[in-house]
Amino acid sequence: MNYFSAFEISASGMAFERLRLDVTAMNLANANSVRDAQGNLYQPVRVVGKAGRSFGNYLQQAVVPHIVAAAQAPRLVHEPNHPLADAQGFIAMPNVNPVDEMLNLVTAVRGYEANVRAMNAARTMALRALEIGAR
Amino acid sequence: MSIEVIAATGAVAGKALSAAGALPSRPAPEASFETWLVQQFSATNAKLVEADQGVRRLALGEADNLHQVMIALEEAKLQFELVVQVRNRLVEAYQDILRMRI
Repeated sequence: MNYFSAFEISASGMAFERLRLDVTAMNLANANSVRDAQGNLYQPVRVVGKAGRSFGNYLQQAVVPHIVAAAQAPRLVHEPNHPLADAQGFIAMPNVNPVDEMLNLVTAVRGYEANVRAMNAARTMALRALEIGAR
Repeated sequence: MSIEVIAATGAVAGKALSAAGALPSRPAPEASFETWLVQQFSATNAKLVEADQGVRRLALGEADNLHQVMIALEEAKLQFELVVQVRNRLVEAYQDILRMRI
């Protein structure tokens, strides 16, 4: 049925917003992490959505998520007592901006909600269509 | 109702009758209503099984995401509703014929 393609579009939107939420949660969880044994520091990541290339593609996957690293200089925190502090007493931490992450959380939840609304609208339409001619 | 309208009705009825008379000579259509109905039944069953498996996976904690399961449930519901409505119309038509005066 045609209505199922509307469901697919909304489902890809929902999956995209879910991924954004997951990524934001990961950024927040790693906000205060330090370099690991190999000296790698956690890089804050972002989800970038690309629209499906053709219309036929829209029906399969309306939005194609990509996870990109937000290249940012590490945040230097002055903590001289920390075992990993450098000569000046600074330690590097991932440059996670809590305000940005909170904004991401809110927009992800609202975006998910909007996709659910769109799906419910398609469902209501289908159910109304099935009421045609009912006694 | 004016006479012209009645006459026009007669003309239409005549046409319908002649069309009905020509019916047996026409070859049976490739896809009959029956095959369509059977297809819809199997599609509905497939959707129901899919939804059931989705719920099962969710209960086992294997489902990737909640919305896919809910969408599968909705799709199964819609497909089932379509078949139910077609069945309702069929039964209505049957009862209409049954009530027909001979």
